[in-house]
Amino acid sequence: MKPRSRIFPYSLITPAMVITILIIFIPMFRTLTYSLTNYILWKPAERGFAGLENYRKAFTDPIFLLSLKNTVIWIVVIITGQFLLGLGTALLLNRDFIGRGVARSLILIPWVTPSVITALMWRWMYDGNQGVINEILVRMGILDVYFPFLANSHTALWAIMFALLWQGFPFFAIMILAGLQSIPNELYEASEVDGAGRRIKFFRITLPMLKPVILTTILLRTIWVANSLDIIFIMTGGGPGYSTHTLPVYSYIRAYKGFDFGYSSAIAVLLTIFLIAFVAVYIRSILKDGES
Amino acid sequence: MKKIMLSLLCLLVALAVYAGGGSDVPDAAEEKPQEVTFWYHFDDPETALNPLIEKFEAENPGITIKAERVAWDVYNQKLLTSVAGGNPPDVAQVKLWWQPQLVEMGALLPLEDYISDWGGKSDVFDKIWELTKYSDGHQYYMPLQMVILYLYYRTDMFDELGLEVPKTRAEFLETAKALTRDTDGDGNIDVYGFGIRGARGGHDWWGTFVLSSGAEFFDDKGNSGLTTAEAIAANQWFIDLYRVHEVSPPTTPSDGFKEIIANMSSGRTAMTIHHLGSSKQLEEVLGDKLSAAPVPMGTEGSWTSFGDEENAVFAATEVPDAAFKWAAFLATAENNAVWQKSSGQVSINKSNAAAGGSRFLQATTDSADFAGVLPAHPGTAEFVESLWPALMQQAFMGEITSEEMMQSIEDHFAQ
Repeated sequence: MKPRSRIFPYSLITPAMVITILIIFIPMFRTLTYSLTNYILWKPAERGFAGLENYRKAFTDPIFLLSLKNTVIWIVVIITGQFLLGLGTALLLNRDFIGRGVARSLILIPWVTPSVITALMWRWMYDGNQGVINEILVRMGILDVYFPFLANSHTALWAIMFALLWQGFPFFAIMILAGLQSIPNELYEASEVDGAGRRIKFFRITLPMLKPVILTTILLRTIWVANSLDIIFIMTGGGPGYSTHTLPVYSYIRAYKGFDFGYSSAIAVLLTIFLIAFVAVYIRSILKDGES
Repeated sequence: MKKIMLSLLCLLVALAVYAGGGSDVPDAAEEKPQEVTFWYHFDDPETALNPLIEKFEAENPGITIKAERVAWDVYNQKLLTSVAGGNPPDVAQVKLWWQPQLVEMGALLPLEDYISDWGGKSDVFDKIWELTKYSDGHQYYMPLQMVILYLYYRTDMFDELGLEVPKTRAEFLETAKALTRDTDGDGNIDVYGFGIRGARGGHDWWGTFVLSSGAEFFDDKGNSGLTTAEAIAANQWFIDLYRVHEVSPPTTPSDGFKEIIANMSSGRTAMTIHHLGSSKQLEEVLGDKLSAAPVPMGTEGSWTSFGDEENAVFAATEVPDAAFKWAAFLATAENNAVWQKSSGQVSINKSNAAAGGSRFLQATTDSADFAGVLPAHPGTAEFVESLWPALMQQAFMGEITSEEMMQSIEDHFAQ
């Protein structure tokens, strides 16, 4: 290849790179620089370099630490729940039964419903005065009186997580279903010849063959779930008190309710660092597994 | 290859020139008609806003109004970020408690010179000029509408139980307790005496009982009056409505405007606090089972929230004269009366003050003497938007004490 023609590939990716730099890298860089300043929107005169002050403040701020704890609970519970529910659903949908095509389409409804609608819908279903969930639980005799799920700081986060579980499991289901269909039938036939039972087939063939799909899906969902803000914000606004604050919620509230862009940016940067650290460890462990 | 590279480069250059040059089109305001950008936050522009714009444009040839609706939930943040970004509207609907931050940012155009030349000045209530004047002596805000919060109550339930409208805090508690009851005999409470808004916006409910019973943001000397024994006790009294006496629904900590109104409409609550803006909606459902009265008195007097709405002209405007004309147009009696058709609120003009009027308007005017506003302090916006709801909810859940809550509010305003 002539040296000059080596420019050609770069010229092809230039438009995409320009857009990426404009809408991703520049805002990222600005968030980083904001986080090093005491940038309060309505105090333009006092704006100045603050070094790592915002970061120092974060680790002594009880609301930040609570938000961090909630973020970890949020990710672990939702990803585990969505994965197990998605896996079960995919295994069911992979079987032959009448109406399978319809079931496969219907299962996608939660996933394609916009988050805002999901949040509003669940908020009214949970409502402690008129909500249908309370009505059902009372009629079934599980509850004596209506319970304010979203108004109680011990249950609010779990109630939202349940709604997100419902919303996100179809993504796992569809991805795993696609993975299931790519497993060659010969493997199962051969194992049957060797006398393998259903358990052995599941743990020795299905799961190992699904591993790449599962690992990729978990990675993607972790990043999305960690960043999710709309559903919490609409359902509880981060309350009652600070009980449903996660890092994105806290960052948003600091920015758009307190107009403290410096501190808010520091929270966002810390969330990014935590996520990058998780992703790095996760990908390394996948690669190690692949080698072994 | 060369050709492809060349054409790609040309395309990029063209894109760059187009993107960069678009915003620098020379201003031709002198020849072109003047355009006033106006931000508002209510849902229904058809009833009042659009006819008013038509009328204004007919009366003022050469000026056009570009009205842009911004959702209420994000209104304040969009306004502040538009100012910080150097691209605010020319005129926007504003609230008193945003004024300190907007002034601090140098965002507002002082209007006193315009107002002194404006013929409609004397037709606006003096009290409104007084309340909207900023502490630096400038008049940045042009009045638009007002409301005063009062007590809604269910006349049918009061009659059934033989109750009188409570005049004092003590009477209020007894009334609320009597109204909280199991109506169908299944052992569960069906009706709660009082609907408290525990989510954002509920500081007005809190203020009614706490700011009337010894708590004040700042005393005459500018010292905080939030952590005195009386203030902490008043806050405790309010917390106890939910925690001890259980006269408000279990959902109180998360109840916002929609829930408060839904509970009142459905008969889940027998009393709540709000203003004229919700009277039409509630009356449609409840008819004459609903009435209104001034809020009960606290231990030190009465306090209710004065709900205001003004228009501000932004300092960055290139058409200040036209912008003021529009703000003044809306504050003129005839037009202001049309405006209130969609807002459901009260005109700021003396000549629109109707004699008699509905029972809701009566409760509003009866409360005028003791209606107050939150402090003109840059911390007020955050207090309303996020601090009060979070602290109140924690206090309702028993996670912090009354004293800790009041101390946190004091610390916030001391910053």
